[in-house]
Amino acid sequence: MGQVCLEREEEAACVIMCASVKYNIRGPALIPRMKSKHRIYYITLFSIVLLGLIATGMFQFWPHSIESSSDWSVEKRSVRDVPVVRLPADSPIPERGDLSCRMHTCFDVYRCGFNPKNKIKVYIYSLKKYVDDFGVPVSNTISREYNELLTAISDSDYYTDDISRACLFVPSIDVLNQNTLRIKETAQALAQLSRWDRGTNHLLFNMLPGGPPDYNTALDVPRDRALLAGGGFSTWTYRQGYDVSIPVYSPLSAEVDLPEKGPGPRRYFLLSSQMAVHPEYREDLEALQARHGEAVLVLDKCTNLSEGVLSVRRRCHKHQVFDYPQVLQEATFCVVLRGARLGQAVLSDVLRAGCVPVVIADSYVLPFSEVLDWKRASVVVPEEKMSEAYSILQSIPQRQIEEMQRQARWFWEAYFQSIKAIALATLQIINDRIYPYAALSYEEWNDPPTVKRGSVSNPLFLPLIPPQSQGFTAIVLTYDRVESLFRVITEVSKVPSLSKLLVVWNNQNKNPPEDSLWPKIRVPLKVVRTAENKLSNRFFPYDEIETEAVLAIDDDIIMLTSDELQFGYEVWREFPDRLVGYPGRLHLWDHEMNKWKYESEWTNEVSMVLTGAAFYHKYFNYLYTYKMPGDIKNWVDAHMNCEDIAMNFLVANVTGKAVIKVTPRKKFKCPECTAIDGLSLDQTHMVERSECINKFASVFGTMPLKVVEHRADPVLYKDDFPEKLKSFPNIGSL
Amino acid sequence: MQSWRGKSLWLALSASWLLVLLRVFPLLRLAVPARPWTSAPQGWPRWLDTELLPSFSQPGELPEDAPQPPQAPRGGGCDWGACFDASKCRTGGLKVFVHPVAGPVSAAHRKILASIESSRYHTASPEEACLLLFLSLEVPAGECSPVPQQWNGGRNHLVLDLHPAPCPQTFQRGRAMVAKASPTVDTFRPGFDVALPLLPEAHPLRGGAPGQLRQHSPHPGVPLLALAEERGGWRTAGTDPSACPWDGRCEQDRGPEQTHPGGTLPNATFCLIPGHRPDALHFLQALQAGCIPVLLSPRWELPFSEVIDWTKAAIVADERLPFQVLAALQEMPLTRVLALRQQTQFLWDAYFSSVEKVMHTTLEIIQDRIFGASAHASLLWNSPPGALLALPTFSTSPSDFPFYHLQRGSRPVGRFSALIWVGAPGQPPLKLIQAVAGSQNCAQILVLWSSEKPPPSRWPETAVPLTVMDGQRKVSDRFFPHRAISTDAILSLDGHSSVTTSEVDFAFLVWQSFPERMVGFLTWNHFWDEAQGGWGYTAERANEFSMVLTSAAFYHRYYHTLFTHSLPKALRTLADEAPTCVDILMNFLVAAVTKLPPIKVPYGKQHFEATPPLVPGGPEPQPTARDCINQMAAGFGYMPLVSSRLRLDPVLFKDPVSVLRKKYRSLEKP
Repeated sequence: MGQVCLEREEEAACVIMCASVKYNIRGPALIPRMKSKHRIYYITLFSIVLLGLIATGMFQFWPHSIESSSDWSVEKRSVRDVPVVRLPADSPIPERGDLSCRMHTCFDVYRCGFNPKNKIKVYIYSLKKYVDDFGVPVSNTISREYNELLTAISDSDYYTDDISRACLFVPSIDVLNQNTLRIKETAQALAQLSRWDRGTNHLLFNMLPGGPPDYNTALDVPRDRALLAGGGFSTWTYRQGYDVSIPVYSPLSAEVDLPEKGPGPRRYFLLSSQMAVHPEYREDLEALQARHGEAVLVLDKCTNLSEGVLSVRRRCHKHQVFDYPQVLQEATFCVVLRGARLGQAVLSDVLRAGCVPVVIADSYVLPFSEVLDWKRASVVVPEEKMSEAYSILQSIPQRQIEEMQRQARWFWEAYFQSIKAIALATLQIINDRIYPYAALSYEEWNDPPTVKRGSVSNPLFLPLIPPQSQGFTAIVLTYDRVESLFRVITEVSKVPSLSKLLVVWNNQNKNPPEDSLWPKIRVPLKVVRTAENKLSNRFFPYDEIETEAVLAIDDDIIMLTSDELQFGYEVWREFPDRLVGYPGRLHLWDHEMNKWKYESEWTNEVSMVLTGAAFYHKYFNYLYTYKMPGDIKNWVDAHMNCEDIAMNFLVANVTGKAVIKVTPRKKFKCPECTAIDGLSLDQTHMVERSECINKFASVFGTMPLKVVEHRADPVLYKDDFPEKLKSFPNIGSL
Repeated sequence: MQSWRGKSLWLALSASWLLVLLRVFPLLRLAVPARPWTSAPQGWPRWLDTELLPSFSQPGELPEDAPQPPQAPRGGGCDWGACFDASKCRTGGLKVFVHPVAGPVSAAHRKILASIESSRYHTASPEEACLLLFLSLEVPAGECSPVPQQWNGGRNHLVLDLHPAPCPQTFQRGRAMVAKASPTVDTFRPGFDVALPLLPEAHPLRGGAPGQLRQHSPHPGVPLLALAEERGGWRTAGTDPSACPWDGRCEQDRGPEQTHPGGTLPNATFCLIPGHRPDALHFLQALQAGCIPVLLSPRWELPFSEVIDWTKAAIVADERLPFQVLAALQEMPLTRVLALRQQTQFLWDAYFSSVEKVMHTTLEIIQDRIFGASAHASLLWNSPPGALLALPTFSTSPSDFPFYHLQRGSRPVGRFSALIWVGAPGQPPLKLIQAVAGSQNCAQILVLWSSEKPPPSRWPETAVPLTVMDGQRKVSDRFFPHRAISTDAILSLDGHSSVTTSEVDFAFLVWQSFPERMVGFLTWNHFWDEAQGGWGYTAERANEFSMVLTSAAFYHRYYHTLFTHSLPKALRTLADEAPTCVDILMNFLVAAVTKLPPIKVPYGKQHFEATPPLVPGGPEPQPTARDCINQMAAGFGYMPLVSSRLRLDPVLFKDPVSVLRKKYRSLEKP
C-alpha cells in the first residue's frame, strides 16, 4: 500500500520535474533499478526537493503582496512626516553663481563615464524639511509642481537610485519660486547636501526667479557651479551651453480643457491678454488698438467682477467679458510682454491656443532656445518697436502664419504642456551635450509629427557624380548553372568600367568549379560561398565590394550588350541614389479588387526595375540586409520570390525618388522570363508578384513607389546620325 | 527497529533539508534579478498628500508682479536688440559701407575688401549705409588698430578681426559687433558677434577648390581616424582605440600610421582636431576633404554657428572622455557617417571654399537678423544649395523653392507658364502660341515683346490667357522675375522656336520629376580647348552635352529671381551685350546651384534643321561667344558646367511595338 503511494508520488514528482526544465536532473529512469533500501532515501530526497520547489514557488508569487504591503506603509508617507534638518546659522553658504561656467570647465564629465546607452544617470536627494536654529522652516517643503517634476524624473530612464553611479544630482529642495523661500538658508541647505562639492553636476529648477524690487533674471540663491534650469533668463545671466532656459509652467494647462483649434485666419489679428502690464506699455498697446480698430484687442483685469479664483479665468475689455484662455483661440497673434520677470506663464497658454506669440521682452532667452527654433513659431519684437508691431506682423504671408500656428501648438504639446514634458526636455538637452554623437537632431526637436511623417531625407543627398574611373562591381548570384554563369562572366568582363566580379555561390551541396575552370578575365574574380540558399544573399554587403556602384546580375542574363551595360553604369553615375535597371515594371491600383496589382504589359509608365540586371549604390545592400522594415526579408527568403520588388520598395522609400529605366529592354530572354508572355505559368507568377506588392505596401505603411514615364537613352539614340560616331551604338532591342 | 531507524533518518534528512532550504532561500531571492518590488520604493515616493501640496505660484501672485518700465541693458554687454539700430536697415535694406583702410593692406585684406564690394549689399556712401564695416589691421600683438571716424561708439559697426592675436580691447569696442576667426565661447556674444572660420592666407577670392569628396560612402580601405598635428599636417591611425591617438602618451603602441606634410588634406573618415588654436585651420581642411571633424574641445565657437547646424556635419566631443569618443566613432551607424560626410562637403562648397562666400555669408547672417520673421529658415541654411543661393526675398515658404520638395513632402504645383520672348524681327509667333496653348498643362502664355516694332493689337484666340508685356529691349529681361508669372514651371521660348504640343507635354512631365534642373530640347557642349588655352563650346550634335538652350526649355521660376538678384551685375551686362551669352549664363547659374547637368528630352528632327536661328552663329560660335564662356568662368571663379551622356525619352520611344500603345507617338514622327 505504502509502496503504491510512494510510486504515485514518484510519478507526480517526475511530472513536475520534467516540466521544469531548470530542475530536470537526469529523470526517474534510474530509480527502478535501485535497491528498495536506497530507494526510500531517494524518494525522500525527491519529495523534499519537491517541497522546496513548492515553497520557492510560493515565495516567488506570494512575497509580492506581502512585501509590497509592507512597502506600501513605508512609501505612502505624508510630506509632513519627512525628517527635519536643522541648519545652524553659521553653516557654510555656497559661492554666488559663476557666470563663466561652461560644460568643459564646471561640469565633471567623469561622473558620466562610459555608458552604452548614452543616457545620463540622475539621482534625486530624498526629501527633508529644513529649519533654522529657531525651528522656523526655510521654505515650503515641496510644491505640487516640484513633486510632479521629481516624480517624472524618477519614472524616467534617466533615474538611478545609486548615488555613486549618478552623473547628475537633483536636490529635492524646491526652488521653483524664489518668493517662497529664504535665500540664505536655502543656500545653506544646498551646501550641506552629501555630494554638493561646490554644486558640481547639480541641477536646480527655477521658474520664478528674482524678487522685488529689481527682479533678477536668475535665481538669487547662491549656488556656485550648479546648473540652473531657469524660466526667465536674460542674455546677461544665461550661461550659453551650461544653463537651460525652461518655460514658466502655466497651471491652466492642467486645469482647463481646451480643444485644439486648427490654423487659419481668426477674428482678432493681435491680442493682448496679460493683466499686469506696465502703464507705459499699456498705452502703446491701446494706441495700436486705436489705430487698427477691431483687428486689435487689448484685454485687462475685470474690475466689476467679485474677486475670487474666477478672476484668473476672466478678461475684460471695457464692459465686455471674455473667458480666458479660450479667448486666445480667437486671435492670430498674441502679445507676450515682459512683466517684472522676463518669463511669463502666458507664453504657454498662447502656444496652446495655436496663437503665434509676439514676444516683447528684450534680451529674454526663450525656453529651450538651445534646441528649439523659435523663428518658426514666434515673432520677436524689440520693446522700442512696439508701436510698429502691427505692421511687422502684417508683412508676414498668410501661409507662413499658418505654419507658425501649427508650430506653436506643437511646441506646447511637446515641451510645455506638463511639468513632466518640461523636466524631460531639460534632461534631454543636458544629455545631448554630454553625448553629442547621440544627440537628437534639429528635425527631431522641431518638426511636428505631420512633417516628420511626410518628409524624406535622402541618405545620398549630396549632388555628386562619382568618377568614372571607380568602376563597378558585378555580383552574380548563382546556384548550379555553371555553363550559363561562365557565359555571363565572359560577357560582363567585356564592359570597360567593370572593376571586380563577385560570384555568390548559393549552393551548399555542391562545390564551385575548380579555379582553373573559370574563365580568364581582366579583372579580379572572387567567389563567395553562402551558408544558406537564400535570395537575400544577393543583396548582402560583402566586404569584397569596394566600389560604390554595384551591378546585380543573374547567372542567365547573357543578352545585354557591353554597350548597354556600360551605358547603364554611366546613367547610374548621373543618378547614384537610384536603382538603374533595364526591364521596367509597374504597380497599379486594381479598383475592382481594391488592392495593388503587378503589371508587366507594354505600358508607358514605369515604377520598378527588375534586379536581374540593375545598378545601384552599395549602401542599399547595407539597408536591405540590416534595415529592411518588418519581416520582409524573411518573407522573401521563405517565398523565394520578390527580392527585387523589396529592393525597389526600399530604395524608393528611403530616397523618395523613382527608378531609372535604361534602354528599350523589355524582358530578359531566359527560361523563367518567357513566362511573362502569357503562358499558364504567367498567371500564378503575376498573382504572386501582386501579393508581394500588397504585402510590402502594408509593411511600409504606404506605397513608396513613384511612377514615371521616362527612360534613359544615349543622347543620340536612334537619331539620324552616323552610328560609328555614337558612343553607345550597340544598344540592344526589346 | 528498522522502521524506527528509517523514520529517524527520514526525519533528520528532512530537517537538514529544511534548514538548507531556509538558508539557501534568501540567497536564491537575491539572485533573482531586480524585481519591480525591490527597486520601486527607492524612487521618488508617492506622497499620501500630493493633492494637498501647494502650487508653486499662487494664482494671485503673478499679477502682483510690479511691471517695470523699459530699462537700459545691464551687465555692460551688448545684444542685438540693445546695441544695433535696425530701423535704418528696415527702410533701405541692408547697405554696407566699408571704412577706408589707412596704411598698407595685405593680400588677404584686399580679397576681403573685394568680396564685400562685389556683394549686392555694398554701398559707397556712409550716409546710406546701416552697417559700417571696419577691417581691423594687423598690428603688433597687444595693440589694436585705431578706430575710424564716424565710429559713433561702435553702433552699427562690424569689426572684422581676422587675426589669431587677440586685441585686448575687443571687449571695449563698445557697441560694435565683432566678426572674429574662431572665437572662444567665453568672449563670444551669441546672436551679436559672428564667428568666422580661420582662413589661410592663400584662400581664393571666389570659386575656390571644390570639395574632395568623390563618393558618398567612405572607401573600404580608408583609415578611420586622422589626427591633426601641431606642425600642421595630418597623421592617420588605425582603428585601435587603445592607441589613444591624441596626446602622444602612447605613441609607441600605435599601429601603422602615416604622416602627411602640412597642407595636404587628410584621407580618413573622421578627423580628430585637438582644441588648440592653430587647429582651426585643420577644421577647414577636414571639411574640404570630406573628413568628419571631431573637435575635442567644446571651447571654440564654430564658424557661423548662429545659422549652421554643426551637429549635422561635425562632432564636438569632450577630450576628457577619450575612450568613450573613440567607441562612439567606431560604433557610429553607417547611415549617420554618410550623412555627416556629405554635409561637410555641402557646407564647404556653400559657405567656406572662397573668401567671397565667407564674407557674403557673414553679411547674410546680419541680413537675417534684420529680416526677423522673414529670414532664411534653418532648412535653407542647412541643406543644398545653401542660403547664399536660396534667397528669402523669393518666398518664406521652403515649398516654393525647387530644392526642398523631398524634405517637405511636397511637389511642384500646377501647370506651366509659357514665356515667349519676341526679339528683333518682331513677328508674332502665332504657330508657336497655338502649339503651346494646345497643351493641357499650360496655364498662361506671356509674350515679352522686345522688338522695336510695336506689338500687333490682335492676338489669336487661345484656350489659356495670353498677356503681352513690354520688354526692356534687353536680353537679360527674359529672366526677370515678372509678377505675371503665376506657376512654378516656366517654359521659356523664343519667337523663332518651334515645338509641338506633345514635345511640350512630355518635357513638362520630365521637369516635374526634376524641378531643380533645366529640361530642354537643344543642347550645347563645353570643352577645354588646349590650343587656345581656354574654354570653348560647340553646338554640334555630340554624345555629350552640358547646356540646354533657353530658347526652348523648362525651369523653375525661382531661377528668374536668382538670375536677377544674385548674379554680379558685370555678368548680366555681358549677357546683354552678347545675346548668346545669356544662354550660357543661365546654364552656368543653374549648374552652380544644382551641381548637376541639365536634362535633354527628344526633339523632332525637322525643327532642328528648319530653325537655324536657334543655333546662334551657326555650328561654330562667333569669337565673342567664345570669349563669353571664358569670362563667365572667370566671373564664377570656376567652371560649374557638368556634362551628361543621356537623354530622357518616353518609355516606349521608337520601340518596335504597336503605335497604338504609345502615349507620345507623335514624338516619333520623322
